[in-house]
Amino acid sequence: MSTSTSHSPSFATARQATPARTAAAAWPYCRYLYLALNIAILVFLLAPIAIVVVFALNPTPFIQFPPVGVSLRWFEKFFASRDFMHALGFSLEVAVLTTLSATLLGASAALALARGNLPGTRLIVATMLSPLMLPAILTGLALFQTYVLLDVGRPTWGLVAGHTLVTLPYVARTTLAVLHNFDTRLEEAARNLGASPLRTFFEVTLPLIKPGVLAGAIFAFIVSFDQFPVSLFLVSPGNETLPVTLFNYLKFDLDGTIGAASVVSIVLAFVVVIGLDRTVGLRSYVKL
Amino acid sequence: MSSTATTRPNGLALFILPSALLFALFFFLPIGLMALMSVLTGNPVVMPKVAFTNRHYARMIGDPYYLEVIWTTIRIGLVTTLVALLIGYPLAHWMARIKSRTGHALLLMAVLAPMLTGIVVRTFAWMTLLSDKGVVNQTLMSLGLISQPLKLMYTETGIVVGLVHIYVPFMVLTLTGVIGRIDERLEQAAENLGASPLRAFLEVTLPLSLPGILAGSLLVFALAISAYVTPILLGGFQIMTLPILIYQQISANFNVGFAAALGIVLLMISLLLVIAYNRALGLVSGQRELQ
Repeated sequence: MSTSTSHSPSFATARQATPARTAAAAWPYCRYLYLALNIAILVFLLAPIAIVVVFALNPTPFIQFPPVGVSLRWFEKFFASRDFMHALGFSLEVAVLTTLSATLLGASAALALARGNLPGTRLIVATMLSPLMLPAILTGLALFQTYVLLDVGRPTWGLVAGHTLVTLPYVARTTLAVLHNFDTRLEEAARNLGASPLRTFFEVTLPLIKPGVLAGAIFAFIVSFDQFPVSLFLVSPGNETLPVTLFNYLKFDLDGTIGAASVVSIVLAFVVVIGLDRTVGLRSYVKL
Repeated sequence: MSSTATTRPNGLALFILPSALLFALFFFLPIGLMALMSVLTGNPVVMPKVAFTNRHYARMIGDPYYLEVIWTTIRIGLVTTLVALLIGYPLAHWMARIKSRTGHALLLMAVLAPMLTGIVVRTFAWMTLLSDKGVVNQTLMSLGLISQPLKLMYTETGIVVGLVHIYVPFMVLTLTGVIGRIDERLEQAAENLGASPLRAFLEVTLPLSLPGILAGSLLVFALAISAYVTPILLGGFQIMTLPILIYQQISANFNVGFAAALGIVLLMISLLLVIAYNRALGLVSGQRELQ
């Protein structure tokens, strides 16, 4: 394709020509159909989330629709439940530890890949991103078997290691994206002006890659907080993460407490996403 | 890309080591052990006499039940992928072509919001919608459209609906990237030459977005066949898929060897899909380089 702008005016004039007019006139409802279809799809995507909020506020002990009123009793029950509170605390603990390790490891790996002149970079990147594509349930199963074989039990660090594996790719990807985008001449300039490699790193490189690292860290936190398949195999009874506790509860009960718990985790995710949007903008990390 | 790639690794290359160690100890070693366990008669740590065997794989191939489970898993994956594509394409097209920045940001939010809501929470949402006394049945009954509740939950249809909702954002994001790279002027040129918008879409945009369709479909299929929560909760323990069977072998039967063999089968299917996915996305960037 030619990218010269001199073609644009001819396109503009061509749009006024008769064939285009007739084509558009023959499809008067095309545009409306397209919009209606897309709005229906958006409803499909978002309605279930809205429904969860409705059930969290509906006071009846069983799922009832339409809702009969508004109450906070399920939120009270959720926050009063020892099991749920313990699970929430444990989930937050695991998510924080995972975010720290995934950010540290992922960002340094990205730095090595972008600046270290490593051979086989493409293969290393593909390997590092592979936990995203391979079934997480297999990561859980394989780690579970390893811990059984090595007889280490089900320690928290084992769970954090599993979570780090599935969150590190996000940090590596966002950090690599910024590293590839920024002008390496800035680093060279700093070096030429007499800064040591260490000083160049802390005063030039680090501030520039911060948005990517931060975006990856926030994503790692959310993914770890919501992680289920790896946790399923690696948690020990009495020390479960919130998604596992919710899952076990759901197998037998379907009341508003789950709704309340869901709203709490949705609110948490949204707070984090709004934070993400404020700090780096959403567009930067959804490039696939 | 910089042209320094020809020089030798420098000090920064050492920063790869912590991640390399993590992957070696917690990814490659465990998967290797899983492969090993799948061909052993028992746990070598607790059992002194352990021999190599192919009985776990023979059991899987010999028993029609397990082949049926594998086929159910693949069938659910295929239907989920197809529906996700049909739903995801229009939305991805809109996202790629929308002019307003606010509009784009809102659409992106709408696609990401479900992604950021945990799988368990979203499955719960579908349970409240699809159960016998759920929102869909209550609404249809109060409107007098049906007298008996429709059986939506504990069916494959229910599982597919839940899985589509969970994985359609991945389809949308993959397709948006690919459609966004197709020059909009090609479509306009076709329309200026007299093609209807539908024909311009079918003969220009759709063929050019085929690699994206392929990549998105492979991604959704890979995710759908490895799903555990949604099939078990919306299937009500009545429909057996590979991941459910794997977990059952661990939790109920403690048959680690057979679970490992099932895991290796799932791993092989996924690996093939990952390679195909990368090829498909490679096709997109290849096209781009040609332009």
